[in-house]
Amino acid sequence: MIRVENLTVNYGAIRALDDVSVQSTPGRVTAILGANGAGKSTLLRTISGLVAPRSGRIFLGDQSILSTSTENIARLGVAHVPEGRGVIYELTVEENLRLGAFASKVDINEGLERQYVQFPVLGERRRKYCATLSGGERQMLAMARALISQPRVLLLDEPSLGLAPLVTSELMNLILELCHASDLTVLLVEQNAKSALRIAHDAVVLHLGTVVASGEADVIANDKNLRHYYLGLVQ
Amino acid sequence: MKWLSSIVRQEKTSARLLGVLSLTVITLAITFILPPVADSQLAGGAAIAIVILGLSWLIGWSGQISLGNSGFMAVGAYATGIWAAHHGSTPLIFTFFLATVVGAFSGLLIAIPSTRLRGPYLAGMTLAFSAAVSPIAQNYTSVTGGEGGLFFNTLNTPHWFLNFFTGPNATINANAQWTADLAVIVAGVSFFFMANLFHSHTGRAMRLVRDNDVAAELVGINLPRTRTLAFVVAAAFAGLGGSLYVLINATVTPSTFPLTLSITLLTLMVLGGIGTLSGAVIGGIIYAFSTNLISHLNSLTGINPTSNLGANMQGIIFGFLLIVTMLFAPHGIAGLGPRIRNRVRALRQVASASTGE
Amino acid sequence: MSVFLSSPLMHNIFAGLAQGVIYSLVALSLVIIWQSTHVLNFAQGAMAMFASYIGMTEIDRGLNYWLCLVLSIAIGFLFGGLTERVLIRPLYGKPEINAIVVTVGFLGVIEAVAQAIWTSTTRNIATPLSQIYFHDQGRIVLLSPFVLFQFGLALAIMALVAVLFRFTNVGLKLRASALAPEVARLLGVRVNRMLTLGWMLSAGVGAVAAVIIASGSFGLYPSDMDGILIAGFIAAVVGGLDSPVGAVIGGLLIGLAEQFVLAYWSADLASLGGLIILVVALMIRPQGIFTTSVSRRV
Repeated sequence: MIRVENLTVNYGAIRALDDVSVQSTPGRVTAILGANGAGKSTLLRTISGLVAPRSGRIFLGDQSILSTSTENIARLGVAHVPEGRGVIYELTVEENLRLGAFASKVDINEGLERQYVQFPVLGERRRKYCATLSGGERQMLAMARALISQPRVLLLDEPSLGLAPLVTSELMNLILELCHASDLTVLLVEQNAKSALRIAHDAVVLHLGTVVASGEADVIANDKNLRHYYLGLVQ
Repeated sequence: MKWLSSIVRQEKTSARLLGVLSLTVITLAITFILPPVADSQLAGGAAIAIVILGLSWLIGWSGQISLGNSGFMAVGAYATGIWAAHHGSTPLIFTFFLATVVGAFSGLLIAIPSTRLRGPYLAGMTLAFSAAVSPIAQNYTSVTGGEGGLFFNTLNTPHWFLNFFTGPNATINANAQWTADLAVIVAGVSFFFMANLFHSHTGRAMRLVRDNDVAAELVGINLPRTRTLAFVVAAAFAGLGGSLYVLINATVTPSTFPLTLSITLLTLMVLGGIGTLSGAVIGGIIYAFSTNLISHLNSLTGINPTSNLGANMQGIIFGFLLIVTMLFAPHGIAGLGPRIRNRVRALRQVASASTGE
Repeated sequence: MSVFLSSPLMHNIFAGLAQGVIYSLVALSLVIIWQSTHVLNFAQGAMAMFASYIGMTEIDRGLNYWLCLVLSIAIGFLFGGLTERVLIRPLYGKPEINAIVVTVGFLGVIEAVAQAIWTSTTRNIATPLSQIYFHDQGRIVLLSPFVLFQFGLALAIMALVAVLFRFTNVGLKLRASALAPEVARLLGVRVNRMLTLGWMLSAGVGAVAAVIIASGSFGLYPSDMDGILIAGFIAAVVGGLDSPVGAVIGGLLIGLAEQFVLAYWSADLASLGGLIILVVALMIRPQGIFTTSVSRRV
């Protein structure tokens, strides 16, 4: 569904991504892994149009979205939960959710109800300002806000950041569930390779802006060299 | 202009002193060459340059925006006028000192409620304060002369100087020349002071507060005090400049320092180059000869100077220049040098890269 | 009753409120622009003046007052939108000071151009509503149909703005575009359009204020708006830059303060009334009296 070909991105003099190619499919979770600064976030931000690449191509299905604006990419059904979640503190829970519904023609009230059923905690706190939410609740809100417009593609940037292991585990299960249920294409950027690989079907490992490995998640998870050098996994 | 800033950027105080001193002497020599009218304009330019310098310090170095420096000028000017009205024979040095101190004090007053504020809040606050000066001047008529303002004569051109001048307009010419020379010397002293400030621990602290106040606090810098200091210095410079400014015409009224002057100051500072000494000099020079430039422009384009359009040309041009400079060259003329150098360097890199490959 | 209403105290209160309404409208326009773009437009007053002047030239040609008002608002919309597109759009992402400086420069240009076109004389237009104060048995109450209209108009606009920002989808998008433009983009909000819209609305409301000033007994001249902008700014800050209700109350407060300074201290010092309130308010509650949002580092 999302296909990136030979993408090269510069931040000034620094090459953030060098000739990166990634392929993802509906109904499958593709994990994007690597250490800090490997270029994982840059990849998602470029796909979403926040960053302009130096060269390369980006496709949504058969359509090139290279020169499409960020808001239009979102309207095409690509939901991106950015690093840090992007929850707007000065707004209430419900306002954040409503904001997410504008990207599509979904009926807002139906969409809200669906998310409140999926995430009851949000329903309870719908009128609260987001500054009062816990980390896990904010992650839920960010997810719900991304899902309310019923997107085709979900780009998740380090959703487990700052969350307790138990919460992370539940979160990953949720992501997998959603992926299957709605045939979503999921690109999951994670530093926490272990939890990501648990639910991923495919994986891509980035190091200093280049792809050092890609393929089936199990294969990558079991590759001793990869585990040691790039994924920070012991043994 | 590059050598000017490179001289003044010297680490050693003595080198800086030499640089400023030589510039002052050169400018003084120029005053003797120029006709009296130009001398008066130069004096005005020098006064404005001092104010710009202070403003540049405040906005460029401490990152606090002030739209009210014309108010500080007015305070210094009125202090001069009020004092001179009763003590006309005091040496000018004292008058300047008084204006500076009064200016500094008003800066302190403004700073107290303001240093907590940022960005547009702060700008608006300073605007509100400077707008208060005129009503106060108009109200306390007995002290400030109300609407009509004050007339004073405190120039006291010394006899030995007067003797250089002969002819029908000797006194007037002598006064103009004396004013210009005074202005240049005072400007020289102010610039030297500011150059030292740039290089001092205070200057570095100021920049840290501007760029990263969290880090500054961690290093032990007292934020409110540093910010207040910036205001006090800027206001002191403005007060001094204001005093010089009114010396030329020997009069000060509530309308001598309108809001448009604050805009003009901002424009000249941005045009010249924020936060730089050469920027303030450029700004002062542009101001000194702006009337000439604009009447040239009027005659070139056939605009009648007494028509509505002609009378407002200055406002239009300065406002327009401010916008354009801010959009396309925010570092002003002084910043053009580094920009051109960087451009050339980048071009050289590309050239060598392509030949290298 | 009428004795009370025509007492000197009530005279001052009514006069202060009438002036305060104008400040409220200017403050409202500043709140709109702040809530939708996080830029404070220092040229706000000048733009309003300019728009109203164009509208008012039509009155000389016999255009009806109400249509002139509508025309001024429409020109305000146009002016605001154009300004955002041309002057402010290039400045997003740049330091805050750039936008402040550019709007200040714009203020200078607009006023100079206005004076070049229309000179600095005061403009005054006749209103269809009477400006004669109500009187009863020889006692005057300092209200007139026009003043009541002023109050009504300001309240109506305040209500519209408050509803817009709090309860509509457009209002939500406007707020989000100012608070977190990148996140808003990722959610499909056309942020650039929202920013233009914010400027359009703000200028339109400002134009209303300018027309009302011109309709009053003192009329309007090009640099008049400088002082009014400052008062409107103070009102917005005191009320909280994100609260339409606060803006209106702030404006009325400033108007009253000025009137009381004028009446009981000195006419020349009237404009200091606002400054006094500003200093007091900032010392007590820097984020504004009516702010509901989470306090940001001011």
